[in-house]
Amino acid sequence: MSAERDLLLKLQGVSKRFGEKAALANVDLSVQSGEVHVICGENGAGKSTLMNIVAGILRPDEGEILINGRPVHFSDPIDAAGAGVGMVHQHFKLVPSMSVAENLYLNRQPRHWRVFSDRAAMRAGAEALIRRYRFELDPDAEIARLSVGQRQRVEILKALGFNARLLILDEPTAVLTPPEVAELLMIISQLKIAGRTILFITHKLGEAKTIADTITVLRDGERVSTRPSRGLSEADIALDMVGREMRPPHRNIPPRAGDRPVLALSGVTMTTALGRRLLDKTSLSIAFGEILGVAGVDGNGQTELTEAAAGLAQIQSGAILLAGRDVTKLSVRARRNAGLSFIPEDRLDRGLSATMTVSENLCADLYRRKRLVGPGGLLRGAAVSAFVSATIRRFDVRGATPSLPVGQLSGGNMQKIVIAREMEKQPIALVVAQPTRGLDIGATEFVHGQILAAADAGCAILLVSSELSEIFALSDRIAVMFRGRVVGVVDRAVATEESIGLMMSGAVVEAGA
Amino acid sequence: MRRTFLSRLASALGPVWAVAAVLVVGFLIVLAISTDPVLAYRDLLFANFHSASNFALFLNRLMPLLLIGLGVILSFRAGVFNVGAEGQLYLGAVAATAAALALPDLPRPIGLCAALVSGMAAGGIYGWIPGALKVRLGVNEVVGTLMLNFIALLLTEYLVTHPLRDPVAYGAVSRVIPSSAWLAEIPDLPGATSGTIVAVLLAPIIWLVLFRTEWGAQLRAAGSNLRFAETVGVDAGRLIMVAMAISGGLAGLAGAFYALGIGHRFEQNFSPAFGLVGLTVALLARLHPIGLLATAAFYALILNGAAYMQIDTDVPRSLVGLLTGLLVLMMTVRPRRSALAGT
Repeated sequence: MSAERDLLLKLQGVSKRFGEKAALANVDLSVQSGEVHVICGENGAGKSTLMNIVAGILRPDEGEILINGRPVHFSDPIDAAGAGVGMVHQHFKLVPSMSVAENLYLNRQPRHWRVFSDRAAMRAGAEALIRRYRFELDPDAEIARLSVGQRQRVEILKALGFNARLLILDEPTAVLTPPEVAELLMIISQLKIAGRTILFITHKLGEAKTIADTITVLRDGERVSTRPSRGLSEADIALDMVGREMRPPHRNIPPRAGDRPVLALSGVTMTTALGRRLLDKTSLSIAFGEILGVAGVDGNGQTELTEAAAGLAQIQSGAILLAGRDVTKLSVRARRNAGLSFIPEDRLDRGLSATMTVSENLCADLYRRKRLVGPGGLLRGAAVSAFVSATIRRFDVRGATPSLPVGQLSGGNMQKIVIAREMEKQPIALVVAQPTRGLDIGATEFVHGQILAAADAGCAILLVSSELSEIFALSDRIAVMFRGRVVGVVDRAVATEESIGLMMSGAVVEAGA
Repeated sequence: MRRTFLSRLASALGPVWAVAAVLVVGFLIVLAISTDPVLAYRDLLFANFHSASNFALFLNRLMPLLLIGLGVILSFRAGVFNVGAEGQLYLGAVAATAAALALPDLPRPIGLCAALVSGMAAGGIYGWIPGALKVRLGVNEVVGTLMLNFIALLLTEYLVTHPLRDPVAYGAVSRVIPSSAWLAEIPDLPGATSGTIVAVLLAPIIWLVLFRTEWGAQLRAAGSNLRFAETVGVDAGRLIMVAMAISGGLAGLAGAFYALGIGHRFEQNFSPAFGLVGLTVALLARLHPIGLLATAAFYALILNGAAYMQIDTDVPRSLVGLLTGLLVLMMTVRPRRSALAGT
């Protein structure tokens, strides 16, 4: 440990309670000037609470914050910004209809005669800031037109524009595609060279290892460890985060090769109204008990592929077969009744209705199947709550009661509700997209276990994920999509991350069969 | 369970506090402008109960507010901002009148039923049109229903001044409906239409449909997250059109009840903006059918009471408009809870 005076930030005995629940208990933290300090922990471990305290959004119940050895008491984020602490939130706080420059200078625009905004000076300032950090951004671009990665860079610049010495990034990679993640990590190492100190929150171990000088692990609101990153393994960090050894789930029954496909797409083509091809003669087939992983950089047709299979998007040509039956023209409901389940990529967009209850989200189209409708079309209240309570228990949905609005659950528990609903029907085929996006290690393990168990039970599974590690952990075969086409299907046994990565970039058109 | 019961009670008490606060502020205003504020307020709130005929008039105002409010709740719960109740109400009233006038010789129950069904159907179709336009062509329903209101008002004005006009009466009124098609009064309450009873009974039925049937769950799914509803196989387009047709049908039924049970003819100016007030009471009830019973009753109370207040004192009935504004303001106030920020 280096000298006390090099400490940019020091927290002593910080505690925070929300009602009955202790979010943070007596946390100490020391951040050296000029380091990249990663805070790891599962969802609900208190990472964001801790960072919100440092950034002046929340006030601690107990404990002290010292910056450069001097105690500070922030009353709001502007106060914290004045002391050189800037935070980039997971959900961006930008005005979508304004330009990059306008967002950078929001609330502090240069002015003519103290009244009229000096747009030329604002634009020049924004351009200088962008050039100084070599971010590729157009100062005049409207935020709404930027990609998620670009928006994040605007947020980072906004913090830097306030001269932040300590930059806090709250799960910055959760919303990014793999190439954007690589760019972000590069930006962070540049900022470090430029002398900024960075606090980086994540629950992804790979990232933590790549970027960190120091790694602090939080669990259940307490600090478990703070250690230099060098010499630590991912398993060490995982052990601290979860508090127990992880057992990766595995298949019990291998897929039966050569079976007739349960789910098949043949020559499926989908175009936009303007004629651009989103899916270009895509063909895939999945056998009984098989998991076909679809890899690819986000936006190469994977979303369209899952929605075409589920019946949510119109296709212009091609056919979709379920257990040998042509379902191309069938409605979503008819396909679901025929044994197709769908776990969409965004649980709050398509997966759930956040304001409706756990019970209503879980039962959505199961009322008749589970005999929950009584005479006269009225729901049988007792049967509904018995079914819902049993399912909550079976899928270990923590914090859920039948009448709670589902939006009040944590991300992992929300995902469990979606999975429970889709698995309860015992589907013959399952389309699942980004099943563990935003989930922590424990929840990911559970979700992977459920998917593998469904395959063991004979379900044909189409798995779309932008996490290559997930594709490799679950799939029997791996298909790679590029610009709406399947550029290759490879057996998992012979695939390597390198070969798949190359295909994802579009460099290889066809590799093996 | 206890916790959810208490939180439900708390959310039900919110509007009660708002109403109480508004009445207090209103009283201060009346105190400032009136020589007899106590009498003014007594009239506003209690004159409704002074005589059977006053009470009957109160019930007659309650009926359209309830039916329109229930329709608004159904359409809003399905995610459709139906502001076309006024037009649906007018078409229902004129269609019921026209049917009753066209079929004067039918025996009593059949003639009455034909007129009621005509009114409901006219309102229903008039609600279905903007629903279908929204689902099939993407026409914004607020624009659609608002514009259709003007068409309905002008169409009924034409009908009542030309084909249906009563040549011997003064003003824009239709001929009197033959008494065989009149809707019965509530026994022992002369002048009070029995339509109010139907309206009150429909509130718990709509509640059951919304919260205790699969169809209601699908409707609320479509209204709260359309993409979720589609994903679990709900045919949301069809559902929205049906909800709009029922919503319009309820407003149409209110019009039919009014023509057949209260006016006994179609009068061009029979509605003191029932459509708008029905929308307001539904929103005040936070789109809850049981809460609507309370908000609609309160509104009918002060709407009717204001008439007596204006007669007896120097306070104008436009005080009701002022109270409405205050109430809407109060209901939109939310206490801030800073401690709820997440982890």
